Amino acid sequence: MAQNEMLAMILAGGRGSRLKDLTTKVAKPAVFYGGKYRIIDFPLSNCANSGIDVVGVLTQYESVLLNSYVAQDGRWGLDSKDSGVYVLTPREKADEGLDVYRGTADAISQNIDFIDTYDPEYLLILSGDHIYKMNYAKMLDYHKEMNADATIAVRPVPLKEASRFGIMNTDGKGRIVEFEEKPAKPKSNLASMGIYIFTWKTLRKLLVEDMKNPNSNHDFGKDIIPRMLNDNKGLFAYEFKGYWKDVGTIDSLWEANMDLLDPKNTLDLNDSSWLIYTEDVSTLPQYIGKDAKVKNAYITQGVRVEGQVTNSVLFTGASVDKGAKVTDSVLMPGVVVEEGAVVTRALVAENVRIGKKAKIGSKDSENIELVAKNVKGGTK
Amino acid sequence: MAVSAFGIVSSADNTIHVEGLHDYRPIGAFSFLGRFRVIDFPISNMSNSGINRIQVYVRSRPRSIAEHVGSGRHYNINSKRGKIQLLFSENSSSRSIYNNDINAYYENLDIIQRMHQEYVIIAPSYMVYKQDYKQLLDAHIASGADVTLLYHKVDNAREYFKNCHTISVNRQKGVSSIDKNLGTANNKNILMDTYCMKRDTFVELVKDASWMSSMYTLADIVNIMCKQMDVRAYQHKGYFATLTSLEDYYNASMELINYDIASDLFRAEWPIYTRTTDSCPTQYFETSKVTDSFVSNGCLIEGTIDRSIIGRSVVIKKGAVIKNSIIMAYAVIEEGVHIENAIVDKWAHIIHAKNIKGEPGAPQYIKRNDTL
Repeated sequence: MAQNEMLAMILAGGRGSRLKDLTTKVAKPAVFYGGKYRIIDFPLSNCANSGIDVVGVLTQYESVLLNSYVAQDGRWGLDSKDSGVYVLTPREKADEGLDVYRGTADAISQNIDFIDTYDPEYLLILSGDHIYKMNYAKMLDYHKEMNADATIAVRPVPLKEASRFGIMNTDGKGRIVEFEEKPAKPKSNLASMGIYIFTWKTLRKLLVEDMKNPNSNHDFGKDIIPRMLNDNKGLFAYEFKGYWKDVGTIDSLWEANMDLLDPKNTLDLNDSSWLIYTEDVSTLPQYIGKDAKVKNAYITQGVRVEGQVTNSVLFTGASVDKGAKVTDSVLMPGVVVEEGAVVTRALVAENVRIGKKAKIGSKDSENIELVAKNVKGGTK
Repeated sequence: MAVSAFGIVSSADNTIHVEGLHDYRPIGAFSFLGRFRVIDFPISNMSNSGINRIQVYVRSRPRSIAEHVGSGRHYNINSKRGKIQLLFSENSSSRSIYNNDINAYYENLDIIQRMHQEYVIIAPSYMVYKQDYKQLLDAHIASGADVTLLYHKVDNAREYFKNCHTISVNRQKGVSSIDKNLGTANNKNILMDTYCMKRDTFVELVKDASWMSSMYTLADIVNIMCKQMDVRAYQHKGYFATLTSLEDYYNASMELINYDIASDLFRAEWPIYTRTTDSCPTQYFETSKVTDSFVSNGCLIEGTIDRSIIGRSVVIKKGAVIKNSIIMAYAVIEEGVHIENAIVDKWAHIIHAKNIKGEPGAPQYIKRNDTL
């Protein structure tokens, strides 16, 4: 790809409040996933692997950790000359004063000056909180082939669930004729993935107008896309068939982790041609102890297992002590499950300590138990 | 804080040859405990000690070391004020008697003389230990000695440390001689091939050695000079391993399959850095049975593993049994294969040989890239 032909902007300002205590101090894109990753590693690695050189990350909610995390662009190989990851938080401007990002489109509008410095032909807009592997260069090829003003990545969802999504109705040749947000009676099953490629010149004009419109929500789905359809612009749907997950709740985050245990899972993080990059840590390899029992587990370096682990995902530095049992659970970095403790159907947050003989969760629970605070030892 | 010393990571002497493994790479590039390479230890020790100018000498087969060390960024060396240099002895072939440490230093003497630091720490790329070189340097300066050596007291020198040197120390920690370990006694002070001295002293020793004999090593010249120079010894404590034979490599690795010993060598405040390969976590399947083992990332495990070290991205199929063995990166062990007391080199593929068994003290070696 030619230098800066396409610039990527990742929307990473959301809290993800349904993730409860996991996002009280960090934004959703910084939440851990898959044993060693943070969710934002996925769009960033996809960008790096797709040959995109410059990535802007738009942050807002609890951005301290996220800002310092993404600023170390060498982690994703985005540190060569003319390449970089740029943290873009709301800033005070000479003529307008300080304003937060009022919507997804506004976040881009407020950074038109940043984008202009690279003078890209195309702009790729991504969400910072989706888990998937995708080659954006192929999507750009499609965008050019269709001579599109905007290309929106879509994926087929079961029709009975389609009313939960933003649905794209197409004319059979891929051209989008209608966009319906959460339709009661969906006409199609193609759901928007929140991944857009815009021809920058076209989008820039629309954004400048949108900023001045007092009735706008400054949102891509609510304002920009409908406006483009209204103006009869060329909008095309780009169908994606691979693994994709938006982990909005504790249950869905747990489920996405459990997906990795399925031998047939299509995310395949082991594919050396499309690696997901993340923070490098200096630890021992994982140690599986003399009396340990490990079955159906996804375990990373620095973990120590002396007890029993079944159907679970264990993150960096987690420890399962002697006689402890961890089943159908996710242990985030640094979690310690002390001797004899039993953890079932739970998601245990970073650095939480589960005391000796404590009992967490149950195998018949409707929802996954989130454990965000240390748990005292049990008596029995 | 940067210290007033630069580091030299030395290469193993041309008299040392480790069966099998050494045919493909220098000892520094040997895989160690799954995710590390041996050279990660001296370089991390230096980096953690505040040494940010490091010269790595490579005597033969430079590819794997060059690839692994690269720019040195992953060793947490300051990208502006620090630097890792890879230096080669270019004037003689790897097996030549002339290809020794002194020759390599002599060939690169101008580079050594241009270093700004007053002192030099020399450490081997073929031994594994943890040492704060700042403490060694402070002790050296405080004693006023010309040269300070690092040594380790052992009680099994008859059987082990065969390719090493021993030192004789008097009560004042003065070194009176350096000798080859001939296995004559169990209690010996093993020289850790680690030296601290002024850069100018080092340059003089290199010049003297090469003037006296083209075959002299640094250990030889320090032995000769310890009659007239003040050579002191500094005792090292903790885990110490020399990897100068296949048996030593195997035993040193097996000794670390003990979480207490291993975690003492790998402390959070003294990280051992290595190059990441960005492999994903390891997946254990329904049929897996793993005990007492260190496993690296990126593996797919369906079989049984006991008291072994598994490298990155290894595949252990259903019904395969691995015991007391070291399986290196990217090896694939197919269904029903039984491996005991063995070292399986990288990219090996074991399919048809269903029973590979070495002796407890004499491991069976399986070649790199081999299909069995």
